[in-house]
Amino acid sequence: MKILVTCKRVPDTDQKIRVKEDGSGIDDSNLAYVLNPFDAIAVEEALQIREEHDAGEEIRIVAVGVGIAEYEAELRTALAMGADRAILVENSNTMDPWAVANTIAAIVARESPDLVLMGKQAVDDDANQTGQFLAALLQWPQATFASKIEFGGLALQVARETDQGIEEIEVPLPAVVTADLRLNEPRYASLPSILKARKKEIEIIPYAELQLDISPQLDLLSMKSEISQRRCVMLEDVNSLMEIIRP
Amino acid sequence: MKTLVITERDGSDFRLGSRSAIGFAQSLPLSVVDTLCVADYRGENPTADSHAAVIAAAVRQCSYELVVAAATTYAKDVVGRAAGLCGGAMASDVIGHRFDGEQLLLERPMFAGAVTATVSLLGSPRFITVRASTYDPVDLSSADSLSSLDATTLRVDYSAVPAAQWKSVASRASQRPDVTEAKIVVSGGRAFKSSEDFERLVGGLADGLGGAAGSSRALVDAGITPNDLQVGQTGKIVAPDIYIALGISGAVQHLAGMKNSKTIIAVNTDPHAPIFSVADFGLVGDVYEVVPQLIAELNG
Amino acid sequence: MSKSIQTSFDVIVIGAGVAGLSTAMQLAKRGQSVVVLEREQLGNGSTGRAAGLLGQLRGTAESTRMLMDGVEIVLDLEKQADVEIYVQTGSLRIAETPERAEEIADLVTMGKSIGFDIEHLTQAEVAAKLPYMKTDDLLDACYCPTDGHLQPAELVSAYIKVGRKHGVQYHTNCAVTNVIVTGGKATGVETVVGEFHAPLIVNAAGPWSYLVAGLTDTVLPTAAICHHYLTTRPDDSIKIDRFSPAVRNRHHRLYTRPESDGLIVGMYGEEATEYDMESLPSDFDMSAMKARLDDILVATLVYNAGQRFPWITERTSMTITTGIMTFTPDGKPFCGKLPDIEGLFYGSGFCGHGIVQSPTIGVIMADLILEGETSYDIDAIEADRYFDEPEFQTRVDIKAAAYEMHSGYYGNVEGRKQ
Repeated sequence: MKILVTCKRVPDTDQKIRVKEDGSGIDDSNLAYVLNPFDAIAVEEALQIREEHDAGEEIRIVAVGVGIAEYEAELRTALAMGADRAILVENSNTMDPWAVANTIAAIVARESPDLVLMGKQAVDDDANQTGQFLAALLQWPQATFASKIEFGGLALQVARETDQGIEEIEVPLPAVVTADLRLNEPRYASLPSILKARKKEIEIIPYAELQLDISPQLDLLSMKSEISQRRCVMLEDVNSLMEIIRP
Repeated sequence: MKTLVITERDGSDFRLGSRSAIGFAQSLPLSVVDTLCVADYRGENPTADSHAAVIAAAVRQCSYELVVAAATTYAKDVVGRAAGLCGGAMASDVIGHRFDGEQLLLERPMFAGAVTATVSLLGSPRFITVRASTYDPVDLSSADSLSSLDATTLRVDYSAVPAAQWKSVASRASQRPDVTEAKIVVSGGRAFKSSEDFERLVGGLADGLGGAAGSSRALVDAGITPNDLQVGQTGKIVAPDIYIALGISGAVQHLAGMKNSKTIIAVNTDPHAPIFSVADFGLVGDVYEVVPQLIAELNG
Repeated sequence: MSKSIQTSFDVIVIGAGVAGLSTAMQLAKRGQSVVVLEREQLGNGSTGRAAGLLGQLRGTAESTRMLMDGVEIVLDLEKQADVEIYVQTGSLRIAETPERAEEIADLVTMGKSIGFDIEHLTQAEVAAKLPYMKTDDLLDACYCPTDGHLQPAELVSAYIKVGRKHGVQYHTNCAVTNVIVTGGKATGVETVVGEFHAPLIVNAAGPWSYLVAGLTDTVLPTAAICHHYLTTRPDDSIKIDRFSPAVRNRHHRLYTRPESDGLIVGMYGEEATEYDMESLPSDFDMSAMKARLDDILVATLVYNAGQRFPWITERTSMTITTGIMTFTPDGKPFCGKLPDIEGLFYGSGFCGHGIVQSPTIGVIMADLILEGETSYDIDAIEADRYFDEPEFQTRVDIKAAAYEMHSGYYGNVEGRKQ
């Protein structure tokens, strides 16, 4: 069985994010970049599925990134955690979710995974679209916002976090599943695993080689910072608070 | 512009979020709006796969140029897939829009709300999910009076729909308003040690004010509150008239979910908690002492 | 800047970590008007990431006395601020090699000679105190019942509460951009919100202290070194009592203490990541620091922790706290003034032991600032000890020396010159 996990390189959003003067993008000088936390959860889930079910049939985990050359660092993180191989589709141009989904679909065609696990959203654009686009392109069932996955061989029992509460669905494989916050807690890579990962290969495929002709669907025109303008008035006591909230 | 609003119901009425989506759709010049509540037609086995197929069929067969929905988990799941079936021109979680000549420019949050991006959609048909709290909802009778698409007229090839199976949803009946719809939200964080304490204090204050109860991520992770109460970047986004943050420190991810509330009040034992940097009013205090006093005052 | 903000004081303290807050409080108690200027939030730097372990017995009687006095100050602060700061868990040192066993024997002898409460323990006694620790390889151990840890957040809030009571003013988001010097005398500072004036200025800026010193072209031999510790989440199968003793296991370079039903384990590794504070953004927030999931130093920490606590692996549910420590070439802080500028004082370079030294350091700093002298023997920590030292004038040399100091911090056997 093969599991494909997607890995996006994003700024750590606990840092202060500054927008360039001209609004054309963020000022990424001195920004620390990390593996998208939701993708780290996807990688961890793949590892746990392998640990729980890897008897007899081998489960291989392939990490895929689509973007600039620097993505290698995040793919190395996935390899250090325990992914077997990594693929970087290298493209120095910005890509919208549609282009990324089409690219991953092309890799799916090459790799024939049984399951694609991805973060439900990337914490830079917070789009929450790529997994759904991919499932549509592949005409595979989708299970988004997964908070629990039970792997039963040919189908997955997935619990999803929705506005109405936890929803349970069953999806046959192959499927696209997007990971939500509480699916698991990603591990820190162990020392042996980090050292082993240094020998693992990252296959780099130039985007042009895939010969995809995908027109951009989303044009990012400008950005501006949102800084709180509020000045907090500190209240003296509970009575003052009561006066403010009294209906 | 032929516009289809994908709606959700709460009982027999359109949800507040759907009515905001309708408000947005109707505000666009020259838009002719139909509504479609897919669940009315595919109540059995309501998977994203089948619902998205219905929407895609509607778009193709009725030539809709624009599909709109409120940015709920349902829409992110279903409308996302539908957009993927129809060319991928989608903008999610839109919080504002304007026109540059004929071009529709959409504003949406990025980086947990630290940045607002202005985008435009290049392909057609276009799919837009809107943050309900940003757009005024139309009233129920206006919503009902809109024409709704009869999905039975659509030819949907269900054999092409993968065989996912919907099994159940664990909804709790609550007397309280939905956290995304209430005018007042009382939200609790790490300071609360148990579900009982949360219910008694956060729930009690919410009830005293006629509002909804919300939760930070920490309590959901700890199993003290259910996930559908979580306010934040990856939970629910709310913008009530009053947001009361009790014992919530104010991590960036939580702020993303509530910082557009009109008035924000915070109670925390730590005078340096980041929540105070986005609040209008703050009180340094222990919620276990402060909240019972507030509840007593409201009830007495 | 608003006209209603006071800008003239007796003393300006730069940095609201424990060193600055303690110094400000002590000065205010002696009647000085004090303002603390902090670039971020109060207690947000190294102080906010610290574990706070208190091991009173140091290499010398003098440094031991300073820490013991510090405990007295903390006990008084607890009463004044009505908060629990000092958690007296006792501490253990353990030895699994002959060299480390000798180290312990020396420590017990030294401690007893100055009347410090310390005793040898048998392997069985250690196992009884720490059932969750591997003990079958121990050759010796010693126990100090009066040790423990200081809770950093509570200590910070006590310094602020008592400081405020004595009139200290605090400005946050107020980075100092320049030190105003006229005729060799410091008279004030420029900040992002405007100027403040005082004839006495304290540089307690932690990792940034060498940059603040650089504002007067002064060389301060401190360097910024990254540090991680793990905190395990509560696990029903591993009962960790709140008063389980802290442990120092120098062979594995570890220190540990209980925390919220889990265990903190930190490591002074042979290797470390260095930081050039000047290349970090001006609004760098230390509390937002995180380690990458594939950080090899974190992996080494987890591996070493597992050597002593076999139930700790990379699969153990835990958080990793990452921060920056201020190291010096000899592992001791710089306290006092330098010959180049009058009125300017330094209190930084605590090499990961700022929390526990801060109560007494505040007293020492106030003594030096107001009296020019102190009853403590501060030869080892005097600010000017490297002032003319050619070895420690360039950043390259200072960083190399600080790095080597950190590398040998737990690695070297104490008392034996390497």
